[in-house]
Amino acid sequence: MIEVRNLVKHFGGVRAVDGLDFKIEQGEVFGLIGPNGSGKSTTVNLICGVFPTTDGEILLDGIDLCAIAPHNRVDAGVARTFQNIRLFGELTVWQNLWVAWRDQPGQEQSWISNWFRRSPTRRQEIQKLLEFSGLGDKADHLASNLAFGEQRCLELARAMASKPKLILLDEPAAGMNSAEIKDLCQRVLTMKEMGMTVLLVEHVMELVMNVTDRIIVLNFGKPIAEGTPVEIQNNEVVKNAYFGSSENTQGGAS
Amino acid sequence: MNFDYIDVIQTLIDGILFGSIYALIGLGFTLIFGAMHKLNLAYASSGIAGAYMGLMSLTIVGVPVLMVFIIGPIVAGLISLILYFACFRFMPRGNHLAPLMASIGALFFIDELIIHATAGSPLSFPAILQDSYFIVGEFGIRGDLLMIMGFSLILMVVVMQLLYRTKLGLATRATSQQPVAALLCGIPTHKTNATTFCLAGILGGFAGCLLAASVGILSPLIILPLTIKGLIVTVIGGLGSIRGAIIAGFAVGAAEGIFLLVRGVNERDIYVYLLLFFFLVFRPNGLFGSTINRD
Amino acid sequence: MTYFLGILQTIGVHTLLGLSAYLLLLTGQLSLAQAGFFAIGAYVSGILTVIFGLHIFPALAIGAFIAGFFAFLVGFPALRVKGLMLVVATIAFSEIVRLFFFNLSWRVIINGIEVGPDSTQGFREIRYFAANGWEQVDIVGLIWFLVIAVMLVLWWLDQVRAGAVLRAVGADELAAQSSGINLTRVKIAAMTGGGVIAGIGGGLFAHSTTYIDHHTFVVLLATFAVSYPILGGLRSVVGTLLAVIFIQGFIIEGLRFIGDYRYLIFGLLIVLVMNLRPHGIIDGHFLDDIKKLLGRKTMRGKVDD
Repeated sequence: MIEVRNLVKHFGGVRAVDGLDFKIEQGEVFGLIGPNGSGKSTTVNLICGVFPTTDGEILLDGIDLCAIAPHNRVDAGVARTFQNIRLFGELTVWQNLWVAWRDQPGQEQSWISNWFRRSPTRRQEIQKLLEFSGLGDKADHLASNLAFGEQRCLELARAMASKPKLILLDEPAAGMNSAEIKDLCQRVLTMKEMGMTVLLVEHVMELVMNVTDRIIVLNFGKPIAEGTPVEIQNNEVVKNAYFGSSENTQGGAS
Repeated sequence: MNFDYIDVIQTLIDGILFGSIYALIGLGFTLIFGAMHKLNLAYASSGIAGAYMGLMSLTIVGVPVLMVFIIGPIVAGLISLILYFACFRFMPRGNHLAPLMASIGALFFIDELIIHATAGSPLSFPAILQDSYFIVGEFGIRGDLLMIMGFSLILMVVVMQLLYRTKLGLATRATSQQPVAALLCGIPTHKTNATTFCLAGILGGFAGCLLAASVGILSPLIILPLTIKGLIVTVIGGLGSIRGAIIAGFAVGAAEGIFLLVRGVNERDIYVYLLLFFFLVFRPNGLFGSTINRD
Repeated sequence: MTYFLGILQTIGVHTLLGLSAYLLLLTGQLSLAQAGFFAIGAYVSGILTVIFGLHIFPALAIGAFIAGFFAFLVGFPALRVKGLMLVVATIAFSEIVRLFFFNLSWRVIINGIEVGPDSTQGFREIRYFAANGWEQVDIVGLIWFLVIAVMLVLWWLDQVRAGAVLRAVGADELAAQSSGINLTRVKIAAMTGGGVIAGIGGGLFAHSTTYIDHHTFVVLLATFAVSYPILGGLRSVVGTLLAVIFIQGFIIEGLRFIGDYRYLIFGLLIVLVMNLRPHGIIDGHFLDDIKKLLGRKTMRGKVDD
């Protein structure tokens, strides 16, 4: 349902993404991994429209995302979380979700209704989302006052509030402890059951290997391997990319 | 209205020569913006205040006329340094609103101070080369404007040399691009920024003195228009571009001259300011904008 | 009594000025165009009552509408670009408006008297209130009725999703955009709303002082306009009102004996406050402290739909 063809992004002389192709099927959890600087976050930013592509296409259910302005991509069905948490700190937990919330596709209300009117359905849905995220009793707390783990949950909830077809998670497990990671695994799997498609960019292998259906590995902006978690774990090329080849490791440490 | 092409070209010549002053002010704004990514709205006022002090040194202390053009810039540099400490030094790095507001407050403070000190009346400023006038073919070139242009060009070259050939310049550019990394490399961010402010202030002081010398009068009423025009030059040239500020300065000077010719002195500034909106609509990055300016 | 009413008059008009800047400041944009919108509201409504004989209410409304319209026009180019450029553009705009009215001369003879804006001489004889039997109390009443109405509207914005959206843009533009908010549209809406409010203030100002000239509408006025919400903090409209009372009441009137040094102190005050409290004097914690003092529960926000 999402297809990336020959994606290229140059920042001046730096080739952050250099010819990336992949497809994600509906309802999949798709992992995007690679060493630092391999172009993972750039890919997420390109899909969300933070910067324009240098070349290539990004198709969501056949629609070319590159032609759509960033704020309209949410309408198209894309939502994301950020590597460095970007909550609306001075707003409450409730308001953070309120801002991102969208109508059910197909039942869009007028902008007057969206901006100025109250809606019991909206209220119920936001409350449910809060419960799901474990923040049910913290609705009127300022977002900046939450604990770190709770903030990450809120970011996730905010992305879900816009009822996306595709949700992009940019290193959601960074800084989490073991218990929180297990919790996150559960959450992502539940999202999959709810019918969402997930693109997961991550370093924390515990999360990646446990939730993804397929993984693509990047290095220097190019894909070097693609397959199931098991296949990737045993892939020599991938191991070289992360750890260096055996010629390098052998002579080095003396 | 019929304008002789001679009138037009004459106006353009005068405008471009005078525009060198705007180029200097634009350069000063750009230096400060380049260093800290913030605008110092009190910048032009510090230049004019320096010019006032230079004048005071002449009228009260009685120094030789040429000293006015040395004391003025030095005082302007000091005032600019004070502005750095008052409005920028202690602000949190990410906060853009507070230093901007503070510099606005400083602008009014300096403006009011000058008005009080001079009881609001304009003072006459020593004019240099007032009577020299060169005839070139069908056009006349004012000697004092020519000297101002020449002097401004020398200043611009000096600044460029400083920025690109000295260690200080390197430090300034490094700090502007990556303040934290620069700090970690041992570049004293605050000292560098303070020096940049000082330098810009000296430039502004020269601009103020040259402006006053060409018009023959110093008045607090020129502060706001000079500030706005300087800002317009900075924006049209492309925020952060030194080349842009210099070229835009001449361009604004020329445009101002044309507007003066076509619409008269009362409406001239309206059109100069409208020029800014023209650029915002069609070329928001300015002539040579390097930073990504669109939201 | 007249003196006291006069102060109420000034505070009321300046509160409208501050509220007009408040709306756009919520989205994180500093605009110095309020002086221009204020001037447009003043001159337009003045011309409508004096030259065209309109009743005060339609005159105020049309003045506000036209001010809002220009706010919309200015917003388009100016809000697409980086915030600092907006400051430059709005300063330029305020000056353009001032210079325009400086040059505007529209004199007609009504009932044997020559009236209308007279370029450098200013716009005299805006005597709608006097000619229609309004007492000063009535004028002050109208001003404060409108002030409270505007404050209620702005307060209501925070009870519905619009307020949260505005503040989200002010908090983090990238996150807001990634949540589906059209940044430019939101900022232009805030700018237009601010223009309308300033237009109302301008119209009231013109009619209550009966004489306006270009000297009033300098950039300094726009600075006052943004100082109120910044000093008062953006948590609530009440902060803006308090800031106006403080600045206008205390500094301008209370220190009148210091003479023209008032503006000097004002400039210094801004520099000082920005250094000590870069987020404004009355931020969220201050209001919470007051609530605790009054024994009420601290509600940090609203649970709403």
